Amino acid sequence: MRRVLVLLATIALTATFAFSAGAAPAVTPQRGGALIVASGADAVTLDAPLITDSPSATVLEHMVETLYRLTPEGRIVPALALSHTVSADGRTWTIRLRQGVRFHDGTPFDAEAVKFNLDRMLDPATRAAFRFLISRVQQVTVVDPQTVRLVTDAPFAPLLAHLSHSAIGMQSPAAIRRLGAADYARQPVGTGPFRFKEWVRGDRVAVTRNDEYWGDKALLDEVQFRVIPDDGARLAALEAGSVHVAVRVPPREIERLKGARDLTVRVDESLRTIYIGFNVTRPPFNDRRVRQALNYAVNKRAIVNGALNGTARVSDAPIAPNVEGYSKIMTYEPDFERAEALLREAGYTRQRPLRAVFVHPSGRYIRDAEIAASVQGLVRRIGVELELRTMEWGAYLAYTNRPQEQSDVQMYMLGWGTVTGDADYGLYALFHGSQWVPTGSNRSFYRNPQVDALLDRGRTTIDQAARNRIYAEAMKIIMEDAPWLFLHSESQVTGVRGAAQGVVVHPAERIEAHKAWLRR
Amino acid sequence: MWAYVAKRLLLAVPVVAGVAFLVFAMVRIIPGDPARIIAGEAATQDVVEGIRRDLGLDRPLLQQFGTFVGGLARGELGRSIRSKAPVVEELRVRIPNTVQLAAAALIVSIVVGVGAGVVSAIRPYSMLDTGVMLVALAGLSMPVFWSGLMMILIFAVRLGWLPAVGTGSLAHLILPSITLGMATAAIIARMTRSSMLEVLRSDYIRTARAKGARERTVINRHALRNALIPVITVVGLQMGTLLSGAVLTESVFAWPGIGRLLVEGILSRDYPIVQAAVLIVALAFVIVNLIVDVLYAAVDPRIHYG
Repeated sequence: MRRVLVLLATIALTATFAFSAGAAPAVTPQRGGALIVASGADAVTLDAPLITDSPSATVLEHMVETLYRLTPEGRIVPALALSHTVSADGRTWTIRLRQGVRFHDGTPFDAEAVKFNLDRMLDPATRAAFRFLISRVQQVTVVDPQTVRLVTDAPFAPLLAHLSHSAIGMQSPAAIRRLGAADYARQPVGTGPFRFKEWVRGDRVAVTRNDEYWGDKALLDEVQFRVIPDDGARLAALEAGSVHVAVRVPPREIERLKGARDLTVRVDESLRTIYIGFNVTRPPFNDRRVRQALNYAVNKRAIVNGALNGTARVSDAPIAPNVEGYSKIMTYEPDFERAEALLREAGYTRQRPLRAVFVHPSGRYIRDAEIAASVQGLVRRIGVELELRTMEWGAYLAYTNRPQEQSDVQMYMLGWGTVTGDADYGLYALFHGSQWVPTGSNRSFYRNPQVDALLDRGRTTIDQAARNRIYAEAMKIIMEDAPWLFLHSESQVTGVRGAAQGVVVHPAERIEAHKAWLRR
Repeated sequence: MWAYVAKRLLLAVPVVAGVAFLVFAMVRIIPGDPARIIAGEAATQDVVEGIRRDLGLDRPLLQQFGTFVGGLARGELGRSIRSKAPVVEELRVRIPNTVQLAAAALIVSIVVGVGAGVVSAIRPYSMLDTGVMLVALAGLSMPVFWSGLMMILIFAVRLGWLPAVGTGSLAHLILPSITLGMATAAIIARMTRSSMLEVLRSDYIRTARAKGARERTVINRHALRNALIPVITVVGLQMGTLLSGAVLTESVFAWPGIGRLLVEGILSRDYPIVQAAVLIVALAFVIVNLIVDVLYAAVDPRIHYG
């Protein structure tokens, strides 16, 4: 039910801005043409296990497929897999594979190829950043050419969702062996609806239609992913008709573009939650009352409506709504009296105000520096003095990633995209007591034995309804403990030319042109 | 003269070596861990440490420097630590783009700059002079990320005459080269004007006029040629700047050049890329300076290198 609601909301939101999308079904899709998609950064690498950025994932997704995939509506469905069974103890997963699929270089896609790719992902020497997604898998065995078996060390409920991550793409073992990993990364070979054509570094990556594709063949002859770093120039290129799709349109431009001819701006939900984290192990934020006070002091709706022109959703849980396991928990509604009372209880007054340093990146998330400044202004009303410190991303990562005993971080801003669409990925690494940085991604050094136990149970419980209840309970405790100042989940603002039909803006922050076509 | 050129090129070796050492040290001083940036915020620590070991970043600095210099001596620049692509491959695409843009911008700036400077100097303190210098001042003061966007909006979006961004044809080159050339043109115009004014007041100009030479001959043959020496110096310096990458212009026009590569390299702490790009830029400066010195002799016969 919830997913249907989310879907409806997305459609309604999109329809507000995109009228031509609504008219699309009346026209018969046409074959041919090259679609040009502009984003802000070039791909870094096209070797699936090494990908950590969305420009690379967007490009790769058109060529390399996964066993399971997350649909834009938030369901996990088989892709290169056909079906699966789980043993009674929840540790053995038997996966049937699609038959007659071949990689672009002619290598058959079979159980051997799956084993090769999973083993490569699991091999620590591969240095796969997302190895932890399937590190519970102890053994991958080939049952027959069409069947693989995965054995985990404990029941691991999010396995199929994690297998949908684009880092666990199925790539041609022959190509990787022949080229070696470093050279393969610049000419990937998968099973997808498009095959690699060329990569002009810093300028574009082009892919062409795979006419031997096992599923519905693509309509476009070619898709080009162009790099236009400047937001304004990217939008101008879209308006001039030089590109069909422009990602990350600045939210303030939506109003102006409403009247533009032959151009629509769509707003699609993402799986990314933006938050401000507190270091809960050191004063002043080792006091829950202080953390709650700041949550009460910040009017999240004002930030969403102001800095983001309404293109975001105020967080009512630590994860975004279209993540499996989400439920609406609560929001800290703005309440200055309560905030001030909590601060007084914690020993702070106007005469002896709370002072803290707030570090944040600039340009990483949509209007991040502006949001940080808004927070600074909003908490000043309850007598909290924040010193803003803008840091360059590389330095910022290093600064917020130091172990607890060396860390003097007080308050920081980050975003987390739960791109597997499963709550485990959005909660375990961020709130489990074993996941303090640098081991995991718990930069708040939050630890609550109750939450730890629930998160452990969440991953080992196979029944989804039971899991949802477990996660709801865990998220309730987390939100009351307030290791974060919960902000919002970002939306993706994308400009699309009227001629480009069927372009999908995936919540995992990717543009999909698999079924797209050009109207002429 | 060839002996002079050879000597200058030989002198470039210690310069480039010094630059190599400085850039090696500097990229490592900035905070931030390349391995963590590659692995991203979600990766576990063992992955990050593995990457650091693969890249040799866990070894002592001196040893890393040795590897770097050893590679240079063999003419190897290594591989980008972020994309794993050979640095040479990353540079091969960018260098022609940068040279193309810099050359086009230089032509724009010399034609516009020298022309405007001469026109101003002929009628000093007139309305024309004031007008031209005002425009030059505006050109100098406008940030390219603004003027570039304005150019795109006018000529690509509104009028549709030229492509908005990217590379590929001569038409693609027009807007970025004008945008980039404008600031330089303004500097050259101001330099040409003041240099011309000084020359026009000198005795040999009065002599030339007195012997009845046509005004055009006086300006072109006698005045301009003498006034060009300081202008060439400025042009040379500007050429170095243009070659070292007009980062903002390259970003606005999505022009894949050295400047953007360098900035992206710094942001991702891609040491080999930064080192190689800075070395190329240093080399460009050395060569341009040499060309400028040789040009002095060509313009002014009194200067010659023995």
